[in-house]
Amino acid sequence: MTHTRRQFVGTIGAATALIGAPSILRAQAQGTFRIGALCPVTGSGSPFGSGMQKMIIAAAEAVNAAGGAAGRKIETISEDTQTSPQAAVLAAKKLIDVNKVQAVLGTWSSGVSLAVVPLTNDANIILMNTSGAPALSVPPANAKGLSYRFQATNDRFGRAFAEICEREGFRRPATMAFNNASGVGNTEGFRKAWEAKGHKVVESVVYEPNQPTYRSELQKVLAANPDVIVTGSYLADTTIIMREWYQSGQPVKWVMPGWAASPELVKAVGPDVVEGIISVDSVSNENALSYKAYDEAYRKATGQPGQSNVYAAMTWDMVHALALAIEAANGTDMAAINAKIREVSNPAGQQVYTYAEAKEALKKGKINFEGASSVLDFDQYGDVTPDFGVFFIEGGQLNRRYVVKI
Amino acid sequence: MEAYFIAIGIIALIYVILSLGLTLQYGLTGLINFGHVGFFAIGAYTSALLALKGVPLVLSFAAAAALAGLAAWPLGLVSLRLRDDYFAIVTLGFSEVVRIVITSEGWLTNGVQGLPGIPRLYEGLGGSAAQLAVLVTVLAVTLVGTWIIRRIAGSPFGRLIEAIRDNEEAVQALGKDPARFKIQVLVVGAALAGIAGAFYAHYITYIVPDQFIPLVTFYVWMAIIMGGVGRVSGAIVGTAILMLFLEGSRFLRDIVPGVSEVDMASVRIGAVGLLLVLFIMYRPQGLMGDYTKR
Repeated sequence: MTHTRRQFVGTIGAATALIGAPSILRAQAQGTFRIGALCPVTGSGSPFGSGMQKMIIAAAEAVNAAGGAAGRKIETISEDTQTSPQAAVLAAKKLIDVNKVQAVLGTWSSGVSLAVVPLTNDANIILMNTSGAPALSVPPANAKGLSYRFQATNDRFGRAFAEICEREGFRRPATMAFNNASGVGNTEGFRKAWEAKGHKVVESVVYEPNQPTYRSELQKVLAANPDVIVTGSYLADTTIIMREWYQSGQPVKWVMPGWAASPELVKAVGPDVVEGIISVDSVSNENALSYKAYDEAYRKATGQPGQSNVYAAMTWDMVHALALAIEAANGTDMAAINAKIREVSNPAGQQVYTYAEAKEALKKGKINFEGASSVLDFDQYGDVTPDFGVFFIEGGQLNRRYVVKI
Repeated sequence: MEAYFIAIGIIALIYVILSLGLTLQYGLTGLINFGHVGFFAIGAYTSALLALKGVPLVLSFAAAAALAGLAAWPLGLVSLRLRDDYFAIVTLGFSEVVRIVITSEGWLTNGVQGLPGIPRLYEGLGGSAAQLAVLVTVLAVTLVGTWIIRRIAGSPFGRLIEAIRDNEEAVQALGKDPARFKIQVLVVGAALAGIAGAFYAHYITYIVPDQFIPLVTFYVWMAIIMGGVGRVSGAIVGTAILMLFLEGSRFLRDIVPGVSEVDMASVRIGAVGLLLVLFIMYRPQGLMGDYTKR
């Protein structure tokens, strides 16, 4: 070995200095409002994360094109959560302390959001997430009222599942859940709502992630002879479960969250297998002009239809709601901005759909921003209550039959 | 900027404490422990649950170390008859069992929903002073841990466990019982991991079973291999290199032009992997590795 240890350490030291320096020089720029895009670009959230991050950037561009907010341009700094709480904490620390962002947008999994929210609370800045866990609504997580959730809680999903099962006339539902906060949250929410209607769940199975097969779990559920299986699952595990269920040949209906029963699932297992599956998702506000603008931006950035990533619509709305609140507060004081978020998003006021339009309307009076992901009205916990679209997979297509309001 | 470095420092030191335990177990004694994260998890949950019930943090940390150490005891007894590779499998299984038990026993651990709102250390100080105090505390514990492991390595006990690593039969032939020493080493290493877990829980303030996956164990393995197996200084230097790769790569975007913000995330992970591979290719015995013996 010709290199000495000292040389090596020296090289590493120099490399650290090199990579550390530019960001310190960049740290203070005047006249901008910095936001952190903290999305799951790698890890289990990766099917959605890059689209989410792209839409934060695209929405910030739309805001800047309309002259910015309160006279400032929005500057986006991106980081990856790796869908891991520990990596997310360090990434959030970097965004807050090195890049001095004034809001963190786009955390996806509940574990990540719950780990990041103490940091944003400490820094007195806003966190906007797309997570489902009920714990995010209340203290200690949302002790300061600085956290906003753009996704329906798992509890609400569960209630929607129960409504659908009742409407479809199912009598003997069973549940299968991926063992994490979101998966179990869905099926537990369903069980609570279903039992409140005076019915019974015939079997509940919780399965471990990353298994090559789910045959034994499936057999246990099918042994109870259910007429429908309600899942809290993801795409990868659902793909395996669908194949194995199809091989078993036992007829049963399925009700699944939209992120599992997606066009990708149809592609993965073929249209025959998934025929008749009911896919439930919070409806994007598809007929709104804001959705059209989002869809256009999403197609441009990714080449996919906007419908393929509901979370990206949420991050698009995050930037809009935040920028409008900044505009309404006419400054960068975080308490003032936070006070305006509900004011610009919730009803009473002129309905507006794009940033430029909203900015004009704001000069005249109260506005009500209608987002691309939902009508975007926040309750006292900072949660939205979207409507749920009920899609039936027919001939490989997801066709929406009706909408459930809860 | 300082707060970010403090955060990295705290996480790095938590990993150093984990590496110290593994250095004792693998580096010195030759026990292939692939289940280190199990003891880390036991420490994290013990301290978090006690603290949430209002137990003073000093006691909850002590309990975390004690319980993690105790958990290693039966594992040691069961595994003594097993040779290296089988022991590795048992420990890996153990850490998965710990994770699944934590996941399933929702009445105690809140299952997959995790435990939010774990009290922080030095909450009263507030803000950056508290962070600095945490850093100083973890540093102090790390130094004490390092000192203890160095003392162990230099003592007759240390020579004995190194002898177990190098030739277990010879140790037996000399009339020593390797089993007893292996259990002691396992318990001490596990207790250190328990303390690391307690620091982690009270620093991140939210724990959930997903955080205690085997990847954590292998981060620690990477750290000690890069630092130099069997050297206490290697545990520290190796962790520093790992954190430098993981966190330093975040600043890649400042020096690499022409990559979009979104692609950067994947480029970053790729760069970390490449660095690790290159490092092991060019420094196969680790930075502080012992080049005299082998």
